[in-house]
This record gives sequence, C-alpha cells and structure tokens, in this order.
Amino acid sequence: MMTTRMILKLLVAIGAIALAAGVASAKAPWEKIKIPELDTFEMPAYERVELPSGMVLYLAEDHFVPMIELSAQIMVGSIYEDADKVGLAAMAGSVLRTGGAGERSGDEIDSLVEARGMDLETWVGQTTGGAYLSCLTEDIDLGLALLADVLMRPRFADDKIELAKQMQKAAIARRNDEPLSIAMRELPKVLFGADHPLARHPEYASIAAVTRANLQEFHDAYFHPERMYLVVIGDFAADEMAGRIEAAFAGWPAAPAPLPADPEIPRLPRTVNVAAKDGLSQATVLLGHKGIRNDDPDYAAIQVAAEILGGGFNSRLFKEIRSNRGLAYSVGSSPGTGWRYPGAFLAYTMTRNDAVEAAAKGILGEIDKMLNEPVTEDELQAAKDLILNSEVFNYDTKREVLDRLVLFEMYGYAPDFLQTYQEAVKALTPAAMQAACQRVWKPAELSVLVVGTPSEFDGDLSTFGPVNQIDITIPAPKATLVIPEATAESLAQGKARMLKLRDRTGGKAFANVKGWHESSEMTVQTQMGALAITIDQTVQLPDHLRIVTKLPFGEQVQVVAGDQGWAVGMGQQKDLTAGEVAELRKAIDQETFGILRRVDELEFQALAPLEVGGKLCNPVVVEFDDEATIMYLDAETDLLVMVQSPATSPMTGSPVTQKVYVQGYQDLSGFTLPGTLKITHDDEDFADVTVKSFEVNPAVDPALFEK
Amino acid sequence: MRVFMRRAALAAAVLLVGILPAFAGTYLELQDEIKEFTLENGVRFIVREDHAVPVFSFFTVVRIGSANEVRGITGISHVLEHMAFKGTSVIGTTDIKKEREAMAAEDRAYAALKAERARGADTDPDQLAALEAEFAKARDAARQFVISNQYGQIVESHGGVGLNASTWTDYTEYHYSLPSNRLELWAYLEGSRMADIVLREFYTEKDGPVTEERRMRVDDSPMGKLFMEQFQNLAFEANGYHHSTIGYMSDLNTMTRQDAQEYYDRHYIGPNITVAVVGDVAAADVEKYARKYFAKIPTGTPEFMETIEPEQLGEKRLVVKQDAQPLLLIGYKIEGINHPDWPVYQAIADILGQGRTSRLYAEAVKKQQKAVQCAAFAGYPGLRYRTLLTVLGVPAKDVTAAELETIALAEIQRLVDEGATADELAGVKRRARADFLRGLEGNNGLASQLAMTQAMSGDWRDLFTEVARLEAVTLEDIQRVAAQIFTEQNRTVALSENVES
Repeated sequence: MMTTRMILKLLVAIGAIALAAGVASAKAPWEKIKIPELDTFEMPAYERVELPSGMVLYLAEDHFVPMIELSAQIMVGSIYEDADKVGLAAMAGSVLRTGGAGERSGDEIDSLVEARGMDLETWVGQTTGGAYLSCLTEDIDLGLALLADVLMRPRFADDKIELAKQMQKAAIARRNDEPLSIAMRELPKVLFGADHPLARHPEYASIAAVTRANLQEFHDAYFHPERMYLVVIGDFAADEMAGRIEAAFAGWPAAPAPLPADPEIPRLPRTVNVAAKDGLSQATVLLGHKGIRNDDPDYAAIQVAAEILGGGFNSRLFKEIRSNRGLAYSVGSSPGTGWRYPGAFLAYTMTRNDAVEAAAKGILGEIDKMLNEPVTEDELQAAKDLILNSEVFNYDTKREVLDRLVLFEMYGYAPDFLQTYQEAVKALTPAAMQAACQRVWKPAELSVLVVGTPSEFDGDLSTFGPVNQIDITIPAPKATLVIPEATAESLAQGKARMLKLRDRTGGKAFANVKGWHESSEMTVQTQMGALAITIDQTVQLPDHLRIVTKLPFGEQVQVVAGDQGWAVGMGQQKDLTAGEVAELRKAIDQETFGILRRVDELEFQALAPLEVGGKLCNPVVVEFDDEATIMYLDAETDLLVMVQSPATSPMTGSPVTQKVYVQGYQDLSGFTLPGTLKITHDDEDFADVTVKSFEVNPAVDPALFEK
Repeated sequence: MRVFMRRAALAAAVLLVGILPAFAGTYLELQDEIKEFTLENGVRFIVREDHAVPVFSFFTVVRIGSANEVRGITGISHVLEHMAFKGTSVIGTTDIKKEREAMAAEDRAYAALKAERARGADTDPDQLAALEAEFAKARDAARQFVISNQYGQIVESHGGVGLNASTWTDYTEYHYSLPSNRLELWAYLEGSRMADIVLREFYTEKDGPVTEERRMRVDDSPMGKLFMEQFQNLAFEANGYHHSTIGYMSDLNTMTRQDAQEYYDRHYIGPNITVAVVGDVAAADVEKYARKYFAKIPTGTPEFMETIEPEQLGEKRLVVKQDAQPLLLIGYKIEGINHPDWPVYQAIADILGQGRTSRLYAEAVKKQQKAVQCAAFAGYPGLRYRTLLTVLGVPAKDVTAAELETIALAEIQRLVDEGATADELAGVKRRARADFLRGLEGNNGLASQLAMTQAMSGDWRDLFTEVARLEAVTLEDIQRVAAQIFTEQNRTVALSENVES
C-alpha cells in the first residue's frame, strides 16, 4: 500500500524531475530577450559616372557636415618597379604630393592645404596606388585643382626626392628595431621567394639607384585617368560634381601601353626559418602558405572556417592558445583569400621564447583538427550567425559601400558578390567546410617563420623541418662620393697630383708610346665557382685594339679598327654595334695607362682626402661623358691605390660600381705599373688579375686588325 | 524653438569672432538632438538618434585608469579590462556556486605560493615546486566550470562588430556596434559586466596574455620602452602618471584576484561610468533598458587623484643606450584639460609640431633633413591632471638624438622669443574646425567623442565648444604660455643612443 507520505514523496520526486527538466531546457537570461525584426535597409543612393577619359566616379551626397571627401584608387603599384630600384614606386607615391605640382612648389601646396584644414595625400602601395582629399565644401575648387595637379602634373623636385630618400633610408636603418616589423618583412620572402615583387623590399642600394627621371617615367607610365576610380562623398550636388571633376582633370592622356601582366604567385614547399635577434623576451611565430582568390568556389567555406579557427574571441586558436593555455596575447589566423591575388593562409602568435615550439605545435594541431574532424553544428551556426547577423554593417557607411563597388569593378567581381557570398554561407554544412579545408589548407606545407632569441627557445624547431637561419643584417650603404663643383684651384691641384703620378710611373716615356701589348690572367668569381681567364690585349694608337679572351671552354677575339669592330668566337664572326665599339675603345683611352698617357690633355679635379683600404688618399676625378672615374692616390707615395668607375656587370648586365684595387707594383717595360689587381663590383669580390707581361710599342702584324 | 535659438546664438558667436561662415548644414542641430539622463546610481547616458541604418554603436567609459593605481598593483586597471570579457555570474559558467568555491581554493593556493616566492633567497625549491603544482591543480579545477569566452561569443553571434576595449592613464573604455534590434540584449550584456563581473581565469589571464602584451608593447619594443615607460617614470614622480598603464612586470607577477576585486568594487561605481549610444535607437528605449539593466551597478563617491605632482625644480634627463636607432622625447609640464590655458597648449602643439608646415617639421625634417618625424602634442600621458606637452623626434639615418634635440630646442626657443604669426594661428583655428567636423561622422566616432569628453572634462558639450575656445586664443596667449612652460627647469628629456649589441 502506498501511504500518503509515500505519495507525497513520489510527487516531490516527480516534481523535482520536472523541475530538473525545466532547468535543463530553460533558456539563459540573454536568450529570453526578444529580438525584434531588423528594420529593412537600403543601399545608400549613389551614382556611377564614367567620364570620357575613362575615369570612373562613384558619387554619394551627404550633407550632414559641410565637407567633401574624395578617395582615388589607381591601378599602379610597386609590383611594376624595376627589381634594382625597389622603393621607386613608394617614393613616386609620396613625392607626387610633396615635390610640387603644376604652378606650385611642394612647400606652397603644404601651406595652402594646412592653412585651410584640408587633407591631401598620395601613395603607391604594392598593388594599388591612390590619392585622398578631404576639405570644407567651400574649398572644393582649390582642392580639386590641387588633386588634379599632383596626379597629372607632379614636379618631382630634387630636394623632396632627397627627403623621400632620407625617409626610406631611415626606415631601412630602423627595420630591425621592432620584432613584428622583422616578421612582417621576412614573411612574404618565405612564402613567395626573396625576389618576388610581393616580397622584395628597399635596400640602400636600390634607393640610391632611383633618379628623378625614373620617377617621372614611372608617373608617365602608370598614372592615367582610365586606371583611376574616384569615390566622392559629401556636401555637393552629384550631377554638378561629375562635371567639375571632368573639368579639373581635363587633358589627362590615356596610358601609352597596357599594364604589365601580374606576377605569378608561386606555391613554395615548406621551409622552416628563424630570424634571430638578441635580447627578446617574446617570439613572433608565423605559419603560412599561398591561399586562394576570392572567386574560388570554396571562398565562403574558407572564410567561415577561418572564423572558427582563428577569427575572434570565440575562435579555437584564441580559446586554446590564449584563454586556456595563457601562451599569448596576440593569436589568430587569416583565411588566405585575396581580391586580386591568392592571399596567404596565415596563423600567428607572439609568445614567450620558451613556448615557441609548443605554441607552433598547438596551432598546427588546431589546423589539423579542422581538416580531420567536421566542426560541430553549434560552432558552425555561431560562425554563420556572426557573419549573417553583422551583414548590415557592410552598408552602414557610404564610404565602405562605394569602396567595395570600386574593388569589385577593379578586380572583376560581380556587384552582387556579397549577396552570393551570404547565400553560400547560409548553405554551408560541416562536411562541405571540412572538404574545403582539406582542399585549400595543407598543414604539412605551411612554412614556419620565427623571430626571437633562439637560445631561449623550447626546441630548435627541427621537428618542423631543416631550419634555415635568416640573416637580418642590413646591407651597409655604399659610400657615395659627392663630387663638388670644380674650381680653378681644385683643377690645378688635380692636374698636379696626376703629373706626380705620371712622374712616379713612367714620366717622359709616356710621350713615346704608340701602342702596347699586355697579357694577364684573371680569376673571376661566378656562381659556379672560380673561372680562370687569360686576356691578351694589343693596342695600336690611336684607335686599333685587339682583345683575345681565353676561357676554359673556348676563345673569343674582339677587334676594333677605327669605327669598325667585330668579334670571332665559336667559329663565327659577328660585327659589333657602334655602342659596343665605343665601349671597347674605352680600354684604349679611359683605363689607367691611357689616362696617364693623356695627362696633359685631360682635366682632373682634386677631391678632399679620404681613407681607402687603411691608407690616406688624395682622390682625383676625371670625367668621360659625365661618368666619373676616381683615382685614389696614396698621400705618402703618390701611387695609385684604387680606381673607381661605373661599369656593367658581365654576370647580370646591370650597372655596378667597379673598384680596382692595386695589390702590387711591377717594373714593366720601363714603367712602374700595377702588377696584381683586385676588382670588386658593388663592393663584392669580382676578380683577381695578375699582369704576366707588358711591352710598349711591340711589333704588330697588321693582319691582326683585318677581318 | 530651442533649435532656432541655439542656431541664432551660435551665429552671433560666429559673427563675433568673424571666421566661421554660416552653414545650412544639419550638424548645427546635432547638439540639440543629443539627449542625456543619469540613473540614480550615477551612471550617465548620452544618446543621439540616427535612423539612417539599423545599427548602433556605444562607448562605455569608466573614468578609471592606471593613474588611479598605487605601487604594487600597477597595471591592474588594464587587467580588469581583460577580465570584463570573462563573463558574469550567469555568462561564462556552468555552475557559479561550485565555480566560486573552486576559485576560492585557487586563491588560497596562490596566496601560499606567493608567500613562498616572497621569501626570496630563503625559498625552499621543493616547497616551491609543490606549491606551484598545487596551484596549477586548483587553477585547472576552477577552469572546469568555465565556458570559455562566452561573453564575446554572444556579442559576435548577434552580429556585433568592433568588439574591443582599451585602458589608459585616465580611463578604461569598452565598445562595439550591434544591429539595432539588439538594443535590449546589449543593455543586458553591458549592464551585467559593469555590475556583476566574475574574475574567472584571473591568473591565467594576467600571467599569460597580459604579460605577453607587456612584452610586445614595452619589453621588446625600443620605442615602447622609452616612450611608454622610462619617459613617464622620469617626468612624474608623485602622481599616477609615473608608471605605464601596462604596469611593472613584478606587479603583474604578484597581484592577486582579491586586489583586482577590491579595485573593481572601489572604482566601477555609477558616478565613474558614462555610456554614449549613437545610432538607430529611440532614446526612450535606451532609458528604459538602462534602468532595467544598469541600475544594479553600485553607487559611491569617485576618488580623485590626491597626489599632485610637485613643481619641477630642474631639468630631468635620461640617456638610454640600446641596440636600436635613436629616438628623442622632450616633455614640458602643463596643466590638465580643464585649465583655462588648455586651448593655448593645443594651439602651441599644433604650431610646433602638427603637419608639414609646423615649425619642427619644416625645420628638422624638410629644411635640415635631420629627422624623418618631429611632432608635438599636448596631453600625454594624461588629460585630467598635470601632464606634458611632448615633442617626439625620430632622427634621420646617422643623426643622433642629441643633434635633433639641439634643433628642436632652438625652434621651441624661437617660439618663446618671437611668438607665433597671425597666419599660423589662423591655420590652427581652421584645422580645428575641419577636424571637429570630421570627428562627428560615424556612429562609432561620435559615441566615442561624446563619452570621452564627458568622462574627461565633465561635460560632453565641451566637444561642441572646443572650436570656439580655440577661436578665443590670441597671439599674446601663445607667447605668454610658451614663455611660461618652455623653460629648462620645466623640461624632461629622454633620448636613446644606438649601441650595437
């Protein structure tokens, strides 16, 4: 029999169960809060106008404050600059604005802009350039005139080029001060290769190589109206503004040639790289490989997956590396998608030195998990909610709406790209996302880059692969010699020094020279190793020259007879161009022996004393066709220590500074001349030369100078 | 009616100074469209309705920052900012009762560990290892009840964007934006964390992310070390601007959850909190939900910094030799934001070092090419108390900070001797007006300006009178104040020299 008490007990028990069930299914307080339907919203009104010049305008009126903002995107970038002039594009971008334009100097523009509270800036980045103007409505005419001037009629004043170079040099000198800047600089080199247009960065030499003419050429090649997209927002009438802009930019010609093709983005195998810097208490750890373009079919899946992996406060990396393990302040990932290029899939953290391997493994483990297991429905839903519920923020300012339309137009995406994306996000399943991750993310291919103090690391990182040490030493700037204006005094002093040198080396004997024959051996440093070359040179003044070059794999003969020249090698004969002939004839008149012979007829300018190779020297400069050859004369002995001149590298074909160091003097046929020489190109060893024989006025078979 | 009166009054003011032409723009009504109310506990709300897009932004400014800290717990304001993302007694936990018990055990284990560590040379290594293991066990036990980052997850899954916070000497601020149909949810979330914080994962957070943040911003950054720590240490000895907001590493290592709880209880009180909401909201709704969800915040009497930095009696100088390119910092003591000369400080900083035509830039960067940057600004490291007008110089390659200092000091002296020109002052005023207008755009920008102005000066309306106050600055003011502040005695110089390691 069931007693009343038992029934009561039972009822209590049933009640308790019901209560417990109630608790389990009860909503949390914030889940009970009603979320009303979101008001509908519309795209802000705008106008797209294509001017006859091809310039595309996106205009939106906004009269809240009496200001107008213009923001231009231009299809130009450092990807188009020469590899030996890295820094040119960025310099062009800044000197457009600072170097004066049209009728005004840069300083005049600064004064006008700042006196009126305007902002006017220009820049060139890696893949785009641009300009920005913000001004009070009342200043729009002046603002537009200035904007058009800087984009169409830049002056590139020399002093502002020099200032831009100073800034770039300072940036180079400072680039190893902050660990994060080391990491961000080295990462693209690890991902795409050091010489890739998206990876290379300025050096002192590449900055020094940039001339005013280069900047002007770069501007003329890339700044054109049909490559410009202009977003205009503010206090104006749209119909009238298009006309004003057209008038301001009138007469801007179209580009003479189409844009070069975009560089290929390689997918490199994994490398493990350490950039060591002493005394750091924290290491920066980056893992990355090439990603996908945003028109890839897996774009939406990868975006959502990246949100789950390392997007924000709720991501797996944030939870695991930061919240649970307390290893980092900064941790996350980026999906590796890009509008123009395939992006770079990246995961990163900054952690204490003794947790480097642990953190890298932790990150790789989380990436593996994304590939090995489908995410939970809840996780996926939270990530979808994040993207779908924040959709309205894609439209909350006019600027972002119009900027995005420009982006789509520049890179060939449909105007409804975002809507398509939202639909794809809604349709995603855990399985589809896992498949996308497996296709796009390859944990085993992720290259590793760590900036830190390796002696403190918790491992040597070899668990990820053979470790490559990155040398972050900044290549020293080349000593540049500024040649001042010549004065009567410096010219007289220069001549006096050269006369002394002539006296020390041969004196009056130079007057009787009609020709000479020199035989030397040269060892050249090449990428394949040292290369031994024998050079036989016969000169008959004033204009006959024969050079026989013997290489291990054959012989080449070059002959110059007056204005004619030819070369014979590999059984073939070929005529030389006028330029090649002129270049070869320098061996007659512009090398040391030729210069010494002509001391009386040439002009020499003395420069201030300078130390070379530990010896105090009196430099003397002689110019041939505006190119300076500088001879450094030992202040004690008056003999030649080094000759510096511009040259072309036979290896790369690019211009180099050649320095010929005299290693020893010999008595050669009555002259005291350099017997062994060391040649550098851009201060790197290029060749060693030993003079084997030297004969003045030798007997020469005239047939040697006949074809 | 009030609108028209206001506009007429402003027009009169404009005529008086003769610079501002009248606009037909709608920003003129902005000040009158701003509504405000204060809860019984002292929390102040500032609301501006803008129904263009169904979103809103908010800024919560707590008038508490590292200047309120005392030695031993430096950095605690910033640690609390991190903790405000850890949830409440409801958010972020599976069982608050058990969690609190586990946290208490964790605190006891930490206290024992701390005591052993404090014995210094007498520390018993075995004992220390045992206590460390015990603490780790207690910490992991407490973590069992944690739902990691649930607070942020709720915000983000409802479409919240820009979720973040920051701490500085004078304040701690929290902000994000939401679709406007989430107003009540927002009020619940924000009110809860201001009233009902739970300092879960305290030790993991401060020993992990907060410590790593210090390493990133200060220890491994030559600029951060000099600017964010050494310079302040040198310039201020008595008041709370002495130490950096990130705090000393030793304080971060030793502070306890009780320290943080006490600090929170003392300072996260109604009168210290200002919330600005801007966007597609009805002010009446904001008030309704504010009363519902923010009323739990306790009230109290705000503490003001009592230690006044004494007058400086001579130049202070620090030369740091480090393996990094040189930097230059020169500071001159000035008074805080509510001093009548504040607009004069702003004008002086602008003339000296804001923009390409400013004197320091024109001379050191453009003319002499001895620097790549040379700028001046008033109000670092703080706004509310005696602070600095600071010159920051970045020397060009192969130029020392000392060389740049000579150039900067000469320009500063020239301002003292010759004063400014009428054109320079006119430029300052024009730029101030343009910058003011730029700052009004965007929900987020306006919310931050309203809340920050209210918290720092005590009246958000100062945002709208700032331009007029600058308009009132005269050339005589500039010369008078320049002569007063730019003295050797009032100067603090910190510079770094490059030494190869």
